[in-house]
Order: sequence, then C-alpha cells, then structure tokens
Amino acid sequence: MRDRSLQYFLLVPGFLIVLATTFYPLAYSLTTAFREWDLTQSRRPEGWVGLDNFIRATGESHFLNSLWVTIIFVISSVILTLVIAMSLALLLRRKGKMHTFTRIILILPFAMSPALIGVSFRFMFNPEFGVLSNGLAAVFPALEGTPWLASPDLAMAILVVTDVWHWAPYMTFMCLGGLASIPRETEEAARIDGASNFRIIFGIILPQMKGVLLVTAILKTIFALKMFDQVVTLTGGGPGTSTETLAYFIFNVGFEWYDMGYASALAWILTAIMMTISIWYVRMLLSERKMATA
Amino acid sequence: MMRILSWWAERALLLLICTVVLFPIAWMFLTAFKRPIDAYSLSLNFQPTLDNFATVFSDPWNLEEMVLNSVIVAGVTVLIAVPCASLAAYSFSRFRVKGRKFLFFLILSTQFIPAVVIVLPFFLMFRTLDLLDTRIALIIVNLAIVTPFVIWMIKGYIDAIPTDSEEAAMIDGASRLRVIKDIVLPMAAPGILTSSIFCFILTWNEFLFSLILTRRDAVTLPVGLVSFRTERGDLWELMSAAGVMITVPIFIMALMIQKHFTRGMTAGAVK
Repeated sequence: MRDRSLQYFLLVPGFLIVLATTFYPLAYSLTTAFREWDLTQSRRPEGWVGLDNFIRATGESHFLNSLWVTIIFVISSVILTLVIAMSLALLLRRKGKMHTFTRIILILPFAMSPALIGVSFRFMFNPEFGVLSNGLAAVFPALEGTPWLASPDLAMAILVVTDVWHWAPYMTFMCLGGLASIPRETEEAARIDGASNFRIIFGIILPQMKGVLLVTAILKTIFALKMFDQVVTLTGGGPGTSTETLAYFIFNVGFEWYDMGYASALAWILTAIMMTISIWYVRMLLSERKMATA
Repeated sequence: MMRILSWWAERALLLLICTVVLFPIAWMFLTAFKRPIDAYSLSLNFQPTLDNFATVFSDPWNLEEMVLNSVIVAGVTVLIAVPCASLAAYSFSRFRVKGRKFLFFLILSTQFIPAVVIVLPFFLMFRTLDLLDTRIALIIVNLAIVTPFVIWMIKGYIDAIPTDSEEAAMIDGASRLRVIKDIVLPMAAPGILTSSIFCFILTWNEFLFSLILTRRDAVTLPVGLVSFRTERGDLWELMSAAGVMITVPIFIMALMIQKHFTRGMTAGAVK
C-alpha cells in the first residue's frame, strides 16, 4: 500500500470512534437544545422552539444560582490549588529520599475515584462520628457540634477542600515539571549576590513559571467546571441548592425533571463557558510566549 | 540548591504533607476492617475483621457483579481504544497529512466538552436501542472520553522515537506496515502500556456515565458506593470495604507508572 493512502487509512479507526462517540452525540444534543422534549410526556422530541430553552435559562433563578455556585467553586478551588501546588513544588524540587517518597505519595489522591473521595470526606465530616469533625472539635472546642455538611457555607468550603485535596498533588507535578525546565543561572547568581528567598521566588522563579502556571490554571478551571462526582457523593448539591454546580444542575434537569430540551441547552451553555475560558487562556499564553521571545 | 527552610522544618513539613495526603486513604482502609460498632466510635484500638468484605460480596450487595462489570467495561474500552489510537497516533506523528492541524484541533477540542453534554444524547439513543443498563452502552460512552486522550498520549511517545531505524529499514525494502509492526510498536510498547493503564484508570473511576446509564445489571463499582446509602443511614464500614476494592488495583497500577504520571495526564493539554 502506498504511504499516501496508508496515512489516512491509519487514522480511520480512531476517527470513526471519535466521530461516532463525540461529534454525533454533540450534533444530536445541539438539535435537542432547540426543541421541546419532556421525556415523561413523549418518547420523541415534540417540536422546535427556537431559542426558548436558552431564554428560559437567563430568567430562571435556579439556573442562575447554579451558575453562581459554580463561579465560587471554580475561583476558590483554582486559586487554592495553584498556590498549594506551587508551594509544594518549590519544597519538593530538592533531591532527597523523603522528597522522593513524598512525590510518590502525591500520586495516590489523583488515582482515586472522585466518587469515592466524596464518600470518604462525607464520612470524615459526619458531625457525630466523623474523624475530622471530632478531631477539629477536640482541638477547637468552639467547633463542637458544627453541622459541617448541613450549613451552606461550610458545605461549599468542604467541597473546595475535597477538590483541592484531589487535585493539588497532581498540579504539583505540573509545577515541578515547569521548575525543572527553567535555567538555574539567574537564581544562583542572585543567591551569590545575597538576594533573599522571598526575592528569588517572587522576582526570579515565579515570572519564569508564568506559562506553566497559566496552563495549570486552564486545566484546573476545566476540571473544576466539569466537576460532578463529588457533588453527588459528598453534598448531593445541598443543603438546599448551596452546592448545586452547573454540571449537577444539568444532570437534575435531564434525569430528575426529564426535560431533555432544556438540559441540552444548559449543557451547551456550560460547553460555551468552558470553550470561552479555554480560548481566552490560550490567547494569553500565546501573547506571553511572544513577549518572551521578543 | 535552594533551601527555604531549615533541615528540620523541611522534614516536618514533608511529614505533614504525607499525613494530609495519606490520612483520608488510611482512615478508609482502617474502617473497612472495623466492626460497625468500632467504625462509629472513632476507636483506633479495635479487633480487625474481614466481615465487611464478606458482607459486601453477599446478598443484597453482591459487589462481585460490580467488580465484574468494572473489569469488563474498563478492559474492553482499553482493548478497543488503545490499538485504534496507536494507529492514528502513528499517522499524526510521522505523516504530514493534509488538514492535519484541523484534525488535531478537533481531537484537542473534545477535551473541553463536559461529559454531561455527551451523556444526554447517549441516554436517549440507548433508550431507543434498548441498550440502557448494559456494559456495551458504558463501553461506547467511555470510548468518547478515552480515545482522543490516548491518541494524544501515544503520539507523544511515538514523537520521541528517532526515525533513523525506520528509514534504514525502508531503504532495505521493508513496507511501512512492516516497519510499524516490527520497529515502531516494540519501541513504543512501554509508552503504549502506560497509556493503557491511564485509560484503564480513567474508565475504572468513571462515575457520571454509570450513574445515568445503569440501574441494576451493569452498575460499576463507583456507582455501587451510592447503594450503601440506605434508609438506615450510610453504612460506612461497607462503603469503606467497597472503597478498598476500588482503590487497591488502581493504586498498584498508578505506582507502576509513577514516573510517567504527569506526562500522561498533560499530554493533550500542554503541547
């Protein structure tokens, strides 16, 4: 077989899978987004309603609440994860037995099933027999009897803590990779000149890490926007709707309310948000590179 | 070499980090071996028991069915995705295919699509085709997440293989397919194995699809966890035992490929 036809031929199986499992359902859900389809009423879509499903979202407080919850969750978890990951990377980049051991340990949270992480943290924050709720109460008696997961703000805080526990270790590896690739000369010269650690980190290392940190931020933002499993197993969106993220709200609209048209429209709104943020980040990244090479 | 903290402060901090990371995992493992009464009393002084494992593997929980579902779904997904992705990755890596950049962008863009968008239409399609609550349905949907990711990952490994020996073999008259089979695949084998393990981990831990597309027959382990939430409250010791079953194989795999860990997960996103 000639190389020219072979090069396409090799792509065929992989692309058939991607087309059939991603692009076909996407097209299907896009058409559904412009239709009325109540699954409890009808097995088939009922009719075209134009932009009605999208317009409905803009006026619905339930949706706006989930958007707000998502924004709070994403911002706090991205910032916390990045700060912790970068600090851990600075600490772990030195060589040493204990450093190596810690790096290996850091793989575990990421390999764990997110649903199981949610379950575990729910267990540990149980007000009666949770090990963390009781441990905290032992150290700070004022926290005795705190309804961790039954209070809206605390439930959100625990959701964020859980997510940071899950992702910060992994993001540390990305930061370590970034640290390994920046040249050491400037740092060592500054050290010989007697610059403080503070100045070396903020004046020399962090500016060179901008690109890596931006990529880490993109990834973490995407993962946080998609985050679903822990909401189900940790808070169930509650108390009330205080931890009902957009992904969880879409799931509810689709599989609790069976309103397929509306759920599809919401799913596309989430996709649009993710795409916009990604493109915005990538453009920042590109202009960053241009400035660096100029 | 930079030292921010004193020797002792640094060791103490590392120890603290390990504790914070390990504690929730260790607590789950301990709970899995506790009798219910110990699980609810926070005691560290308890008589370990295997009862919870016996319980979850018997009626009405029947965890063995979920283990089987998880193994089959994750295993078959890997067996389909990895060979197809390897071929596509080779083509991307070695040929200057027309429209290659566009195809590449398409592959990358799938990573920005939330799974919930894909699962809605699949639910409707599987309902029509009578495939809800089957392993086939889960395998099809998992392929959507895993295939683009594995194409990216394996391409990274093939890119790193020098082309000299391939060119030499072709000058000697070997066909391209021969070259792929006899030279590239053996050299890329460690990378392909790593990618397969990643693929397995992703599918094994997958929750959303299984939650929506299964009810009884095809339930996988992560969704099985939710069934320990009963009217009598959450059965933590049983959940923990199930958690151990989910976690142990994955930890072993993750530690096997720990050197490649970051590289794998960022293959698609960073380059």
